[in-house]
This record gives sequence, C-alpha cells and structure tokens, in this order.
Amino acid sequence: MSVENLKAYIESGVLELYVLGDLSPEETLQVEEMASQNPEVRDEIAAIELAMENYAMQNAIEPSADVETKLFEKLGLQNEDEVETIGSTPQYQEQSRIVRLDNSDGKIRTLRFALVACIALLVVSGIALLITYNKLNAAHDQIASLNLDKQKFAGIVSQLEYENKGLDNMVTMADSKEWATIRMSGQAFSPNSKMNVYWNKKDKSVLINYVAMDLPKTDAQHEYQLWALVNGKPVSLGVFGKTDSATHEALQKMQTIQEAQAFAVTIEPMGGSVNPTMEKLSVMGGV
Amino acid sequence: MTALKKSSLTEPELVLALQSKDPAVLKTLYSMYSSALYGVISRIITHTELAEDVLQETFVKIWQSAAHYDNTKGRLFTWMMNIARNLSIDKLRSKDFKNSLKNQDIENNVSFVDEQNKVTFNPDVLGVKQLVENLKPDLQAVLNLVYYKGYTHVEAAEKLDLPLGTVKTRIRLAIIELRRSFN
Repeated sequence: MSVENLKAYIESGVLELYVLGDLSPEETLQVEEMASQNPEVRDEIAAIELAMENYAMQNAIEPSADVETKLFEKLGLQNEDEVETIGSTPQYQEQSRIVRLDNSDGKIRTLRFALVACIALLVVSGIALLITYNKLNAAHDQIASLNLDKQKFAGIVSQLEYENKGLDNMVTMADSKEWATIRMSGQAFSPNSKMNVYWNKKDKSVLINYVAMDLPKTDAQHEYQLWALVNGKPVSLGVFGKTDSATHEALQKMQTIQEAQAFAVTIEPMGGSVNPTMEKLSVMGGV
Repeated sequence: MTALKKSSLTEPELVLALQSKDPAVLKTLYSMYSSALYGVISRIITHTELAEDVLQETFVKIWQSAAHYDNTKGRLFTWMMNIARNLSIDKLRSKDFKNSLKNQDIENNVSFVDEQNKVTFNPDVLGVKQLVENLKPDLQAVLNLVYYKGYTHVEAAEKLDLPLGTVKTRIRLAIIELRRSFN
C-alpha cells in the first residue's frame, strides 16, 4: 500500500472504531491484517489505545467495596489467599510480597511467642527441678541424721532398759530376806572400785549384778574373777566380763558356795586362774 | 492514584499471570483497573446498582475468557474496556434494565431522574469533561454518543443524521484531540 493510501486509511477513522470495538468481524480482521503489515498502522492503533486508556483512567470512578467481595465470592476465589500463587513478574511479586510478608509475619510472630513461652517454661522447669533436687538432698541428709539419732536413742533406750532391769532385780533382792548383799569396796590396786555380790542364804547361789558394780574396764586379754574366801582359802566362783557390756543380762549367775567369810574380785588372764593374783585385787568385802 | 497502581505491573506480566489463571492477578487487575472500567460503565449505565452489576460481570468475563485475549491485537486495557462497554450496552438493551426503569416508584422518581442527570464530581473527571466540552460541538456530540452512551458509530450516524464517514472522521478528530491533551 502506498504512503498516500496508508495515510488515507489511517485518517479514515477505522482504527478508532477498531479500538472502540465498533467494527464487524470482517472489518476487524482487515484492520489486524493491515496492522501486521504496516508498522505505521500498528503505532497509530497503539496511540489510539493509549489515549482511550488514559481517558478512561482519568475518568475513573471508584466502585463500592462490596463489588470486589461479591466478585471473588462469585468466582469462588479466596480474596485473601491469592498471595499463595505468585506470578513470575518482579514488580508484581514485589507488590504481593508485601501481603505475603504480612501473613507470614503473623505466623512468625506467633511462632516467636511460642518459642519465648517454651524457653520461659523450660527455665521455670529447670529452676523448679533444681529446687526440688536441693530439697531432696536436704531430705536425704535429714533422714541420715535422723537415722543416726534413732540409733543413738535406740542404744540409749536399750541401755536404760538393761539398767532398769538390773535395778529392778536389785530392789527385789534387797526386799527379799533370802538374799544377802555383800558390799565389796575398792582395794589398793583399784581404790575407786566397788561392787555388790548377792548370796542366797537358802540355796547358796551367788549372783552379780552388772548395774551394781563400778569396775574399770579390763583389756582384751584379761577379765574379772570372783572369789569366795572360805576359811582363809580362795575359791573361784567364775569369771565375768566387761562391766559396760549391754549384750549381757544385767544379772549373772556365779557358782554356788556353801559357806564363805568374804568375797573378792581380781583381774586374771582370760579364762580365769586357779589361784587369785593378789596384786590385782580390785574389790573385797566381808559377809 | 489509579495511575500509580497501574504502574506497579507491566502489561505482558499481567497477561501472563491472568492466562495462567493465577487468582492473585485478578486482585491486582481489579485494584488497577476497576475504577477506570467502572468509569466507562457508569457513563453508559447511570444506575449505580446496575452499573456495579456490570462491573462484576465484566471481571467475571475477563477471568473466564482470558485465554481469548491476544496481545498482538491490542492492549489488555482495550480488550477489558470493550468487554465492559459491550456488557454495558447489552445491559442497557436488556429486559432487566427496561424493567428496572419501569419499576421506579413515584417517590423515587425524582432521585432517579437526578441520578440520570448526575453531575460527577470526580476531580479527575472534571478536567477531561472540560476537555471534551472544549471540543467543537460536533466532535463532542459524536464522542458523547459513542463513548458515553454506548452507541455504535452507525447508530450515532443515524441519531445525528450524518453520513457514516463524517461520524468516523469526527470520532477520529475527537480522539486526536484527546491524544494531544494527554501528551
């Protein structure tokens, strides 16, 4: 097409009608054909389009907000969810990313709160655990010390029971007319010692009471031996052990003796001796 | 405001997203063009409720027939504007619209008439209206009919009792006037 004809074609106004959508399908096709062959036509159409677009933009009227809501409802699209799918266009992404950040911001904020809450809970739990652990340790210590106390008291109680029993026996024997109490007092070897011997006048049996004696402890290789002096001769009535032992009965039965003028106690090697070691005479008392 | 929104996305990008049926693009498209399209629609249909119905239908159609848009044949906005114009003209000629006219109550008649003759106070519009009014009266008459009233150029020719060629030329001159003012 010649330049004149092209100019006439452009000036005919058909391109404006094309842009306004006011042409028949055949005419539309003709214009598109022309546009594809002639850049001038294409440029002219573009200019007309831009003018109409600018015109429309400048004559814009804001519709009421619920048109948009209804539109998205009608199309079954979630108005808020469109940020999920993002086009490949940078500017557009930039625009929608603002929305997406808002959304994920909320999620992150929620997660951050959850994290802070978790840490706080962890710290509180840790402190609680530490406190409980300390208390438990204190309780253990207390139990141990109470156990010690208990053992001590149990020891004291058994000691008291033992002494009580001995004292009971002493009282009974003192009340009875059958028993004679021979008080033996400390001798040169052990001046502070003293001890009682109980001698039954009827059956001649001899008892000693650990509670009613005050003798120093012997060493491991020695023990006490009770003697009766019969007509000037010592007769062994048996050995007895440590005075403070709580494992013994308070009363210990010794050998019987038919007659005696005096009783004495010496320290002898374990098992006793045939004759008393006079240097170690602890106590002695006459009947 | 609209110009700012528009600049946030280039047309090929919009088209690509639209044709891949990305729901996000509809939102973008709506925020960029709804007021411009509503401007076009409400000049053809002055009844607010009906105009808004048409705006909604326009976007439904844009969404549903996006695949038919061919960017080698013209700008996206031209395509959307023509959808809006066609739906508006269809509505104007439909039984729906005629019924709505008949159903106007006596009480509402005054306000309806006001609505019909409503002066738009959109400051953006005022300048352009002024511009259109500054056109020579014969150009103005043609542009009013074709652009505002939704007439085809054939109908405009009949209405104005002018030869088709004259109508076409006047439309062209009016648009050239617009082009000049925007550059």
